[in-house]
Amino acid sequence: MTTLNSVKRDAPLARPAPHKMSWVWLGVTPFFLFAFIFLLYPSSTIAIRSFQNTTTHVFTFDNFVHLLQNPNLVNAYWISIKISLITSLGGGIFGFLLAYSAIRGGLPPFMRTSLMTFCGVASNFAGIPLAFAFIALLSPSGVLTGWLRSVGYNPYFHGFQLYTFWGLSMVYMYFQFPLMVLVISPAIDGLRREWLEAAENLGASSFQYWRYVAFPILLPSILGTMILLFGNSFGAFATAQALTGGSINLVTIMIGAQLRGDVLGDAGLGYALALGMVLVMAVAITGYTLLQRKSERWLR
Amino acid sequence: MKNGGKVWSWFWMILGIVYFFLPLVATFIFSLRAKKGVLSFLAYQQLFNDSGFIKGFSYSILWGVLTIIVGILIFVPTAYWVRLRAPQFRTAVEFITLLPFVIPAIVFVFGLVRTFSHPPFLIVDSPVLLIAGYTVLSMPYMYRSIDTGLRSIDVRTLTEAAQSLGAGWATILFQIILPNIRVAILSGAFLSFAIVMGEYILAQYLAKPAFAPFLAYLIQEKAYEPAAATIISFALTWACMGIINLFGRGQQTQIAGGH
Amino acid sequence: MQTKKFAFHLIALFVTVGMVLSACGTAATPAPVPTSVPPTMAPSTAVVLPTTVSATAAPATAAPVAAPTIAYTFDGTGVAQGYKGTVVSSVPADLVTACKAEGMLTIIATPPNWANYGEIFADFEATTGVQLNSLDPNAGSADELAAIEANKGNKGPQAPDIVDVGYAYGAQGVTAGDYQPYVGTYASRLPATTLGIPTADPNGLWSIGYYGIMVLETNTAVVQNPPKNWADLLKPEYKGQVALAGDPQSSNQAIMAVYAAALANGGSLDNAQPGLDFFKKVNDAGNFVPVIAKVGTIAQGATPIEMAWNYNALGDQQSLAGNPPIEIDYPSPSIGGAYVQAISAYAPHPNCAKVWMEIIHSDPGQIAWIIGGASVVSQADMQTRNVIPADVLKMLPDPKVLASAVAPTVAQLTAAKALITKGWLTTVGVPIPTPKP
Repeated sequence: MTTLNSVKRDAPLARPAPHKMSWVWLGVTPFFLFAFIFLLYPSSTIAIRSFQNTTTHVFTFDNFVHLLQNPNLVNAYWISIKISLITSLGGGIFGFLLAYSAIRGGLPPFMRTSLMTFCGVASNFAGIPLAFAFIALLSPSGVLTGWLRSVGYNPYFHGFQLYTFWGLSMVYMYFQFPLMVLVISPAIDGLRREWLEAAENLGASSFQYWRYVAFPILLPSILGTMILLFGNSFGAFATAQALTGGSINLVTIMIGAQLRGDVLGDAGLGYALALGMVLVMAVAITGYTLLQRKSERWLR
Repeated sequence: MKNGGKVWSWFWMILGIVYFFLPLVATFIFSLRAKKGVLSFLAYQQLFNDSGFIKGFSYSILWGVLTIIVGILIFVPTAYWVRLRAPQFRTAVEFITLLPFVIPAIVFVFGLVRTFSHPPFLIVDSPVLLIAGYTVLSMPYMYRSIDTGLRSIDVRTLTEAAQSLGAGWATILFQIILPNIRVAILSGAFLSFAIVMGEYILAQYLAKPAFAPFLAYLIQEKAYEPAAATIISFALTWACMGIINLFGRGQQTQIAGGH
Repeated sequence: MQTKKFAFHLIALFVTVGMVLSACGTAATPAPVPTSVPPTMAPSTAVVLPTTVSATAAPATAAPVAAPTIAYTFDGTGVAQGYKGTVVSSVPADLVTACKAEGMLTIIATPPNWANYGEIFADFEATTGVQLNSLDPNAGSADELAAIEANKGNKGPQAPDIVDVGYAYGAQGVTAGDYQPYVGTYASRLPATTLGIPTADPNGLWSIGYYGIMVLETNTAVVQNPPKNWADLLKPEYKGQVALAGDPQSSNQAIMAVYAAALANGGSLDNAQPGLDFFKKVNDAGNFVPVIAKVGTIAQGATPIEMAWNYNALGDQQSLAGNPPIEIDYPSPSIGGAYVQAISAYAPHPNCAKVWMEIIHSDPGQIAWIIGGASVVSQADMQTRNVIPADVLKMLPDPKVLASAVAPTVAQLTAAKALITKGWLTTVGVPIPTPKP
């Protein structure tokens, strides 16, 4: 039909004929309407109200000023960033080593498929069930604690605490490293065997291969995925809430407390907090997208 | 690869396996400890006799299915239309479907509750907001699955053939396109289902009796039942992922939110 | 290999389906009454009754089951399953009729396993057939008064009808005008004083229902050597194990724990500051964990040592049924604390609230509290009339123990409460978040 063919020949962003435009536009209306009402409008509410005074609705930067002046809240950002950095680095490195071992490490092929399956499940197994799984593992009545105590070593006497920053980091790693494995695998696949053989033919040592061939190729992927991990950890809420009951100072916990109506009496601060989070995430996702594009060069 | 490298591969692999399985094994053992001194399934029995568990579980299943249906109804026509007739909207649509990645779930729920708990939009108690919230949270995965599915079939030819035989748009969508992307839709559906079953934030702050808030309550009030519920939750996730793998046949498994 | 993967996933699927099917199979519970679900509903919880309850006291729970303890669940939306609730005949019939017309009772900050309140919930629903709406079970006394004040014009399910607050909050509520007076049929039977303080407000704005003593509750599976007294809490072996049962800025139970600590550390009923200093020392020693202790967290070992009312500790002990074992130690000196119940001045359902007040002061209601481990105001009166079953009498705490508990006057309580709520963050500096469910 002529209508279809003419659209096919036009460049994707070319201006279509006006009468076609209105008809075509109707088809995507439900989606845009849905997205506007339930996603864009609430999000823009946050953005706008964070710049407004709660009672008078006058535009002001006061909310952000108050946020930066509140040591508790600034601390919350710092702790959130800290835990995200640590788990993205730790999860990233561990995940990369795991993925590389499974794909190029000379292990039997079924280990790779098993690893992908497990990682798919593990990266979804987050939130409250995960928090409790670690409580069952390492709380003072936990199974592992019991085993260790029966061989004479009580981790709690050596300063171990589950419901703290480091305990939470350990729990976060559980869904971070599988995510790394899943996302970095295509990149490792793209590391062609011919390059390794060529390097060996030229007399390169293992270290030189990694330093001059493999890492430069993989680095954008690795960094990009680590940034994705960073965003993943920064936005986590249910896991932290279930494990610590809200006693660790994270930005997500602060926003959750705002929703409950306690901690901060000032609604404007809550909006400012939320917008701050979105900004951090936006920077993270942008970084990831840019690095992902850069790494795609090598995957072709 | 040199043999030394192989040792390291096994080392990392075993470490990964241990890290993955240890919490699950511990939770399972913990769940068997309900009766003092004996390993038994008492915790599971008590859990299944708990009306709150039945209610929470069935509530989440129901709303998971509804979310999938709503998702299909909104996203399949949209993806189809964008691919076929409105490629100029593709960037905008993809940007919107990726927004839930940028906006963490807690911020999104914060916005939803704050926006819709004041007149004139006082719908915070209605099920519409719950479904809409779940649909948005599962949107990236649902839409991407459907889009991938559409990419693998020749939409244009199918449409042209159907239209030349006199089919209307509804027939084309639901009798021709939908069956052909069945696999992709199922993959997205199970992912959405897993998300809804594990979703805590939206259900909690809209005060709905879903499974995850019930699990949070169990952790505070009971000793061993939360372990049983955790194992069930994990088994369910595994089943969903397994079914996705079964249908996906190697498509890259995607990661869900709600944590 | 495809087949193996297929089989593996199939097995996983069957396991799940099997579990789900068995869930549907074993669930013999009826569906809850399908009325509109109020926003902050407390999900089901199990309250465990002791196995030897006399038939006259609670007929429905007479038969012990094969399981270690008798348990019933109350899910807040309908009649309790397992325990059908007794109809309380002493409630005036006209009140019951008026309550039925109102259709709902909203209470707040009352978990079913607090002094066996779950049984009273069931009794209320059996007596009136009216739905009980339980808001925010984890809230503290301060939150209850805040909820009354925040919902002044609200006639919906978010506005509480009845509050159950610490004694000091009774006086605070009177000053703030939060209560409406009700002099029930039981008023003449109330003793003039309980624990040395007036049992009821002279204008009928509140009255004491039950009281208890602050104790140390320990999970002995985690802590082999439980602390016996306040000073023990500073020992290095209890690192990261000591918790409060609430937030001292709003929870009466937590405030009284700090107050009791003051008595043991050089303070007095007039000076609660040493209590704050003591907790600062506990925190500095690394022994304090800023998580609210609940029966689940105690059992899992997150908060193995807590300071709670004796009835709450008894309730935890019963519900865990020895797995893990809970030890209750009575520190000396300790503080006695009473809770008062009052009807909100802005209650949307005042008649149901009055029925509630009648029920909690009736014989079945008071006996329910005794089963829950609390001491009740009408105890002497009931003993004279010989209506307390022997098994239940056995559960009362040793009168000697209660005698050693010191009870502050209203003025002392008010001053201590002000000092502790304001001073917690400045002296001890550890915020304790309240969990939402």
